[in-house]
Amino acid sequence: MADTASNETKPAPALPRVGNPVVAVVAALLIPGLGHVYLRRWRRGLAFLVLVAVSLWVGCALKGNLYQREPNDPLSILATLGAMGMGISYVLLRMMGYAGDILSAGYEYGTAFLLTAGLMNWLLVLDAWDISRGKKE
Amino acid sequence: MLSHFFLMVLYAFLVSVFFTLLWRRRRREQVKLFLQLFLGMVGGGLLVAWLMYPFPPGPPAPIP
Repeated sequence: MADTASNETKPAPALPRVGNPVVAVVAALLIPGLGHVYLRRWRRGLAFLVLVAVSLWVGCALKGNLYQREPNDPLSILATLGAMGMGISYVLLRMMGYAGDILSAGYEYGTAFLLTAGLMNWLLVLDAWDISRGKKE
Repeated sequence: MLSHFFLMVLYAFLVSVFFTLLWRRRRREQVKLFLQLFLGMVGGGLLVAWLMYPFPPGPPAPIP
């Protein structure tokens, strides 16, 4: 009886740790997919880079809003944190003076693409952390 | 080319591929999840659009 119970709750075999988790997270946060490349998930890393880059490019082409904190809008903080997930691209776009164009026909779609690019990369950061810690394949 | 429908399909495609690669490793499971996500998003979008069709669009929102 006790053996049966212990078999049912038997944890999955531990995966090996890969690389340094902190380096993986920082790399993933700076450039989408770089964390996976560092962890030797080459194909997945490159695929993620392309996906986030395309989302970013379409968002910019449609002149969507790149969120930044607004004085009287607390929710803008969350949106800004989400968009900042795109890493160094966010900083570069800000430095280049990118602001979007609310009069553009694709403004709303562009905003969704830009925010999605940031949110996707936040998930990649967490994924790189899990892989590095041996919690995920 | 840049229609609402095209942008919706492009968005659904990117997000579906992303979550497929993030959550699944085996090819067969990847194809299954991709189709579920992609068709769910596009189909759901069309369904919502169809439900909204009888309602008039109203005046354009003011520009802040």
